[in-house]
Amino acid sequence: MRLGKIRETAMQGVFFLTAITSIAAVVIICIFLFCNGIPAMAKIGFSEFLGGQKWSPTNVPPSFGIFDMIIGSIYVTAGALVIGVPVGILTAVFLARFCPASLYKVLKPATELLAGIPSIVYGFFGLMVIVPLIRQYFGGNGSSLLAASIVLGIMILPTIIGVSESAIRAVPESYYEGALALGATKERSVFKTILPASKSGVLAGVVLGIGRAIGETMAVVLIAGNQVQIPKSITDGVRTLTANIVLEMGYSTGLHREALIATGVVLFVFILLITLSMQAIKSRSENHG
Amino acid sequence: MKKKILPIAIAATLMLSIFAGCGSSTENAGSNGSSSNTASASQTNFDASKQITVVTREEGSGTRDAFVELTGVLVKDGDTKTDKTVTSAVTINSTEAVITNVKDNDAAIGYISLGSLNDSVKAVKIGGVEATAENVKSGDFAINRPFNIAYKSNLSEVAKDFVDYILSSDGQKVIEDNGYVSVSENGAYSGSKPEGKVVVVGSSSVSPVMEKLAEAYKAVNSNADIEITTSDSSAGMQAAMAETCDIGMASRALKDEEKNELTETTIAKDGIAVVVNNNNTCDNLTLDQVKAIYTGETTVWSDIVK
Repeated sequence: MRLGKIRETAMQGVFFLTAITSIAAVVIICIFLFCNGIPAMAKIGFSEFLGGQKWSPTNVPPSFGIFDMIIGSIYVTAGALVIGVPVGILTAVFLARFCPASLYKVLKPATELLAGIPSIVYGFFGLMVIVPLIRQYFGGNGSSLLAASIVLGIMILPTIIGVSESAIRAVPESYYEGALALGATKERSVFKTILPASKSGVLAGVVLGIGRAIGETMAVVLIAGNQVQIPKSITDGVRTLTANIVLEMGYSTGLHREALIATGVVLFVFILLITLSMQAIKSRSENHG
Repeated sequence: MKKKILPIAIAATLMLSIFAGCGSSTENAGSNGSSSNTASASQTNFDASKQITVVTREEGSGTRDAFVELTGVLVKDGDTKTDKTVTSAVTINSTEAVITNVKDNDAAIGYISLGSLNDSVKAVKIGGVEATAENVKSGDFAINRPFNIAYKSNLSEVAKDFVDYILSSDGQKVIEDNGYVSVSENGAYSGSKPEGKVVVVGSSSVSPVMEKLAEAYKAVNSNADIEITTSDSSAGMQAAMAETCDIGMASRALKDEEKNELTETTIAKDGIAVVVNNNNTCDNLTLDQVKAIYTGETTVWSDIVK
């Protein structure tokens, strides 16, 4: 009896420790980022850092303006959504409502496999296949906003498909049967009753996709061209916040390095906003649900 | 039974498309190969009216630092230095990716370490001088940079002996044998062969030759153990300053904050080759032309190749 009690408290301690580990990691990363990044931002000047359009860290005197990269990250993410969201949601609808069971056995693992491919492989695929195709058919040098958007669009598919599909499956069957009973066709029942009912779940999938797209690094750095500029067309090159960090981390020193960590802070704030909106969507769906 | 036919059919189509894809890609490779073989004979398939795709390395890269300084893309005016590299330049953080970009794009130009040069791209002459180790050594080839090592003043006896070896005629011979250029005129190595371990950390440009040097040094001093870790110039300097390693390697000159704490020694020189696509008819550029291309004054190949 007493032995059982001791075991109980001991195990409670173990679980507490494991729970603490992940929280501690988040807290330590926050402390590291903000302690290193905020002083650097202050040294450079907040408005000059966030609003500056000139990034030349090795010049004397140097300039550290990341405005073009913030815009770059937003453009690339938006481009990925334009390609990934329609394909992802329609695939999820197909998998959940229209797909024959035998085909499902092939398609579902295939979409999951997409999530398991390392991002550097996506990058090489983009560099070897998509960049030359764009150079041939759209002009420019190929390494572009368009190339990054296409590859990221493919990369966020598994996230959007997975989350959306389970959201669609969670809609009670009675909605569908009700729509059918009122005389709607199968397609109409699915797109007019089930899809609207699973709206918040699908939205959650899209938000997760945004998170993945904005944080992606290795694939983007190979195919985006990485010019510090606001692209004027989709065949122009673009540099994202993540690409800026990974490009220059290896050789940077002093304030340059701190400026890169500050770039990380900006990225972190973006991710934080995405996570918060994710929470908001979740709580709203619970209130309604 | 009927339901099984569909997935099988799809699988079969996928397989076929894979074979078809592979077939067409090998065809492409074949035609590329033949076109590069015949390029010297006909040279008709290069479209000189194309916009030049400028490929550069990231800010802070040792290769870029040396390149912009030597070509005059870096403009010094009193205390200010401004890197005038055109903003539309594709920026890449590895030598391999530069080669891939130039190899696949007729209109591209890039620059890489002479040691990394291979047949997939074409190195142009600079002011009529070919990019070879001999020309870097004689100083005729204008674009070259130092390979540096740096260490704290309290260097261990064995590490000091290793540095002596690198700068001796024996060590410099190893450097020359590997295609780099020697810098020291010291006599043969005559060290005391002390016992101990040396940890060397730093630039991936320097580490291949450093490994050869360590091998040769261990052959003459079997008491020593040399451990080399490859990362990058800045990491090497930081490790040397934090004393987590004995010797740091850098493919660039040391920054002021690094010089305050470390002693800098140049152990070798390396050339930087300006490379273009194999189909490109251009095979000679002046330093001013390279500068004009990288600062965005020259934007199409027809301004250079007639």
